[in-house]
Amino acid sequence: MTTELINRYVHEVGEHLPAQMRADVEAELRSLLLDMVEERARAAGRTADSDLITRVLREFGPPEEVATRYAPPAQYLIGPRLFRVYKMAVGIMGLVVAALLLAFFVAGVVQTIRNPAEAVTLGKALSVVGKIFHTAIFNFGLLTLVFIIVERVQQHRELTGKLWNPAALPPVDDPDRISPAGHVFSLYAILAFAILFNFYPEWVAIFGFTPKAGAWHWPLLRPEFKLYLPLLNLWWGLAFTLNLVVLRQGRWRRETRWTEFALGLLAIGILLMVILGPPVFRYDRIVKVVLILALIGKGMESGGRLFRLLRHPAAAPWAAGDAEASDHQQG
Amino acid sequence: MVASATQSDLRENLTLEFRRGALVLAVLTQLHREQYGYSLKKLLAERALEIDEGTLYPLLRRLEAQGLLRSRWRIEDGRPRRYYRISSQGEQVERELAAEWRALARAIERLLS
Repeated sequence: MTTELINRYVHEVGEHLPAQMRADVEAELRSLLLDMVEERARAAGRTADSDLITRVLREFGPPEEVATRYAPPAQYLIGPRLFRVYKMAVGIMGLVVAALLLAFFVAGVVQTIRNPAEAVTLGKALSVVGKIFHTAIFNFGLLTLVFIIVERVQQHRELTGKLWNPAALPPVDDPDRISPAGHVFSLYAILAFAILFNFYPEWVAIFGFTPKAGAWHWPLLRPEFKLYLPLLNLWWGLAFTLNLVVLRQGRWRRETRWTEFALGLLAIGILLMVILGPPVFRYDRIVKVVLILALIGKGMESGGRLFRLLRHPAAAPWAAGDAEASDHQQG
Repeated sequence: MVASATQSDLRENLTLEFRRGALVLAVLTQLHREQYGYSLKKLLAERALEIDEGTLYPLLRRLEAQGLLRSRWRIEDGRPRRYYRISSQGEQVERELAAEWRALARAIERLLS
């Protein structure tokens, strides 16, 4: 008996379950499905071929629906599927804040010992700690907002519905399967950059601390940089939307892959405009060297994406699942 | 057409709701001997109670989480299977549900006649 289809099905059900019950439900479901298939084959006096397995799986129901029977969906701001990732992200943020505070404390102590005349005053220390906490709370809020958006989008993820075809299930090692954590990070980064460049351009800067001056920052952007904001906002808006669409669809499809490639080209265009355009940065040459490196990286990334898209021109069978499922139902 | 579809949906929902509570009792009565999911489904079907697999298997796990069933993995015919059996708490609940069921059945019978 070929169990590949059962493995795909079980894996897909597991994808929609909270992590703590996933392995156990998957093991039980696999054994139950094998029992069902064997019994049907015995009753029909035939071998358990893929046709029979397909029929059993279709009867069992779409994976998302089966998963909701094991773990009924509830209204969460951040549900159990994402909460582990959320806790980890908040933990990482906490570590960064702790590391910044520790670095500031060590620098202050060292400075005070080496030059008592320029010791860090309580007022300056509190101002730096306040800025660190202010930034941390802002980022914590932004991160939480992104997780709430992702939770909402995933709750309304397109269900395969009654018209579904088990043969169209993606393989267990599906290269188009998405990682919600990766998309959360992308959404967070896009929002953070958009807010920073639009509302706090003076904070696009190099930061430092000296006991005399306290915390300081050298803004990198000149007022002329505003010229590029409409284009950048367009790119951020499109990238944000693409991430939401991919999350909603549950996996990468060819259309979204091509859109991702097109967005890469748009990013290259914007980078070229900024690099070849008039000076818009303080320390313009240094910043533009960094942008040239980013351009090379982006070019290589887009080249790789184009190569993969052209190398696999035909849509993967599971990508056309909905259409096939409809055909099966009609046929 | 729409009205008849809605009515049929409504009837289906009411029937499902009606059966839901009864299924718990049915499952508890059949688990005084250890059974795994598929063998329990067959056993219930032999006794004229058809339950869809997609309903039965999650129900078993829910009853176990509520402490009414116990389970253990056993390897049989080279395949790991999860066997369920009623717990002492489950036996107590079964007795109470059975009494409730009989009282309800008598009351409904009186109402119907």
